[in-house]
Amino acid sequence: MDASLTLSLSHTNSDTHDLIGSYFLQQWRLKSRAAAAKYESVGVAGSQLLMEVESEESEEDKEELPTELDTLNSSGGFSIVGSNKLSVHYPNVNLHGHDVGVVQANRPAPSKRLVYYFEMYVNNAGTKGQVAIGFTTSGFKLRRQPGWESNSYGYHGDDGLLYRGQGKGEAFGPVYSTGDTVGGGINYASQELFFTKNGAVVGTVFKDVKGPLFPTVAVHSQNEAVTINFGKNPFVFDLKAYEAQERAKQNSTIEKLSIPQDASYGIVRSYLQHYGYEDTLRTFDVESRSTLPPISFVQENGFTEDMNMYSLNQRKVLRQLIRSGQIGDAFGKLREWYPQIVQGGASAICFLLHCQNFIELVRVGKLEEAVLYGRTEFEKFYKLGDYDDLVKDCAALLAYEQPQKSSVGYLLGDSQREIVADAVNAMVLSTNPSVKYSRECLHSRLDRLLRQLSACFLEKRALNGDQGEALHLHRILNSGRKG
Amino acid sequence: MATSKKVITREEWEKRLNDVKIRKEDMNRLVMNFLVTEGYVEAAEKFRKESGTDPDIDLATITDRMAVKKAVQAGNVEDAIEKVNDLNPEILDTNPQLFFHLQQQRLIELIRNGKVEEALEFAQEELAPRGEENQSFLEELEKTVALLAFEDVSNCPIGELLDVSQRLKTASEVNAAILTSQSHEKDPKLPSLLKMLIWAQNQLGEKAVYPRINDLSTATLEDPAV
Repeated sequence: MDASLTLSLSHTNSDTHDLIGSYFLQQWRLKSRAAAAKYESVGVAGSQLLMEVESEESEEDKEELPTELDTLNSSGGFSIVGSNKLSVHYPNVNLHGHDVGVVQANRPAPSKRLVYYFEMYVNNAGTKGQVAIGFTTSGFKLRRQPGWESNSYGYHGDDGLLYRGQGKGEAFGPVYSTGDTVGGGINYASQELFFTKNGAVVGTVFKDVKGPLFPTVAVHSQNEAVTINFGKNPFVFDLKAYEAQERAKQNSTIEKLSIPQDASYGIVRSYLQHYGYEDTLRTFDVESRSTLPPISFVQENGFTEDMNMYSLNQRKVLRQLIRSGQIGDAFGKLREWYPQIVQGGASAICFLLHCQNFIELVRVGKLEEAVLYGRTEFEKFYKLGDYDDLVKDCAALLAYEQPQKSSVGYLLGDSQREIVADAVNAMVLSTNPSVKYSRECLHSRLDRLLRQLSACFLEKRALNGDQGEALHLHRILNSGRKG
Repeated sequence: MATSKKVITREEWEKRLNDVKIRKEDMNRLVMNFLVTEGYVEAAEKFRKESGTDPDIDLATITDRMAVKKAVQAGNVEDAIEKVNDLNPEILDTNPQLFFHLQQQRLIELIRNGKVEEALEFAQEELAPRGEENQSFLEELEKTVALLAFEDVSNCPIGELLDVSQRLKTASEVNAAILTSQSHEKDPKLPSLLKMLIWAQNQLGEKAVYPRINDLSTATLEDPAV
């Protein structure tokens, strides 16, 4: 049967099937890309790391960080930046207020995060100790102390005052001099700048500039010399502890909010139903009946319950087969129970199953069988064009003596089986005649809530000049674990 | 004057929702964390098998923890104390407040069972010395002993001490202490995330009008009210 005929036969369900199929192919592609990127960055030696979780930072959160001092635009020749671009000194005698040796970082402070921070060590306070640390905007006059001009902030060593936008400082922190380490930070949650001396916060000031701010240091009397640390070396200040403390502040506000008592219980239950974790669900129900106080959870309205319970047992069986690598049996069950899903044999779901079968053959070392299987099954998908990158990933498994250590080693992980199992689960759900929106088959209630949460964080940040952090589910999941 | 808010249509918002990447493994871990923290040990074991998710705590310790919790809930406080000490004697040694609350619960159970003499003796010998160390303990002790002064406690103002909710309160305090001693957070993460969702929606609501989820039990996206 050719592809066009298949399409017309399964026309009624084709939109839904396309949506579900392409969703899971997309999941796979994300994994493939992450694995490739990781492989490239760690090289062959570190390839065992491949099986571990990929970087938790999402792509859009990656910002270029200040790494060194800007030697192109900086200081009208009053100071000299060291060859490592991390130190500055003032060789001459200063004459007036317009010959400050001020240097900005090569890039502005990144903003898509909770806190930015950098440090400066005073090697020599020179004749007058007029060293300063602060933040300035891109148009800053590079012959003035940070804080003296508008849209700039500076914590000055000789008087310990905080300057922001004018020549007159305000009481702030202690003075600092030779041998001291001071730091400047931006807290995007509270919209404050803070400064530290020798590891302790000395004061905070409201950040009224909305645009990008450059980490900035200044020297302004003979022999003054400072060294900057943009994070390449450990900070004197315990930044992790500070961040944890800031998050705890936010959490205590959040914890005061109230939610219906059994909300979590209901969400967990519907999650188990959605993915066909039937054994867990049954046990969960039994155990929750014996809790004290008994869960007063009102059963969901009959309709939702029906939707969630749809073909639960068959979905469980299919998941078990796929998770244990018995793809042929899963195929058989599908043909028997839901022929419409595998009809035609050229759908995305068939592709996923065939690939997994191939992968399972490679896993157990049946390479010749795998080759034969691939030749029979992959060709038609290859011709369709939509799948060639994924077919290549699968086929590449054959090229390695130890495929699990290769860049396509991710295919042998549990999560690949999980994608296939979830895809089949969603397909079966979509055969329920009472399904109205195919998205219901893709996303459990927990999934939808987490998406909403994440989208709110991103939008909130976008409306706040790209300042602040996104939702890092991974970090939340890993927090609270000791040792 | 209110500044005008950005309006995000359902269509735009849904696109954003679809762009969010939520990992299945993370959701599995959230569910496992809930089962484990809330003490659904059998379900956690089944979930480990069905989903391949490793629990973040030794499942055997859940059984012990639940046994302690159930003992308190059933009013067998002595039994519970013994079980806690079997688990880890440091738990009570380092939590004087928890130990006091357990002893207080024991006193309540004696009073409930009409063992007046035993109750008085227990209060004077075991609880009073602790009350001397701590003013708030003393107040709680006095309040509890006052139960003896009423013939019909069901109508007296401190009768709530005899309520099931008092047992549950004590049980959950012990539960939390055991979890903490096992380097595990005392609360599951899921409820906190749900609260965070309410918070984040409110925060965004100050700047934008967008489709919200107001009912956690359906997770239905509601059209923005423009």
